[in-house]
Amino acid sequence: MRRNSRFWLLLISCGLITACTPVQPWERGYLAKNEMAWQPDGLEAALNKHIFFSKEASSGGSSAAGGGCGCN
Amino acid sequence: MNKKLLSIATAIIGLLFFSTQVSAAEEGGPAPDFTLPDLVAGGTDFTLSDLRGKTVYLDFWASWCAPCLRSLPLYNELYLKYRDQGLEIIGVNIDNPVEDGLEFLEDTPLDFKTPSDVNGIVPEMYSILGMPTSFLIAPDGTITMVHVGFRDGDLEIVESAIVDLLAKN
Repeated sequence: MRRNSRFWLLLISCGLITACTPVQPWERGYLAKNEMAWQPDGLEAALNKHIFFSKEASSGGSSAAGGGCGCN
Repeated sequence: MNKKLLSIATAIIGLLFFSTQVSAAEEGGPAPDFTLPDLVAGGTDFTLSDLRGKTVYLDFWASWCAPCLRSLPLYNELYLKYRDQGLEIIGVNIDNPVEDGLEFLEDTPLDFKTPSDVNGIVPEMYSILGMPTSFLIAPDGTITMVHVGFRDGDLEIVESAIVDLLAKN
């Protein structure tokens, strides 16, 4: 009985997988939208990164070395 | 019993996967007909079969596709050069919202027709593989060339195919 329910669960899961389809070329506009970007505003991201690594005063904390003076 | 169940399950999954496959518009095959509204408000609807008897270059573009934006002014030059010989260029815009496409047209006016397909029905019908994709269609409605992407030197390839087809008809 348990084995049978496992089988059906697997079968249904396989069926549901077919709903996963690749993004079609004409749908890529959605991926090109600003809100889909990891960092929508490059300038703001650079500033935040600079402040972060200055305040944290950590060497390599944000991919570059620094002493915490905020001057580099 | 288990074997029978397994074979039924395999058949069902196989059907589910293959039911999503559609046939593409290919070279040598007929160009699927469609009707679309114009991108510019107040423009007339466009139907592909109305251009039967003419050489048609059908291009799919969007404002978020950089190579498309590079190709369009060049296609416009081609259109102005060959329209007297019977060439029609159709630039199907697939922007959603349409304002994105209109914004581009404000900066780069195009002389050829630009129908709008916000739902992406026609590119799906043509099963395009990338953006931009264009189809060269003979006067009898047969696709003679499918061109995907737009790189340096592609304009020459497209122009020579158009010139060849115009010469034949």
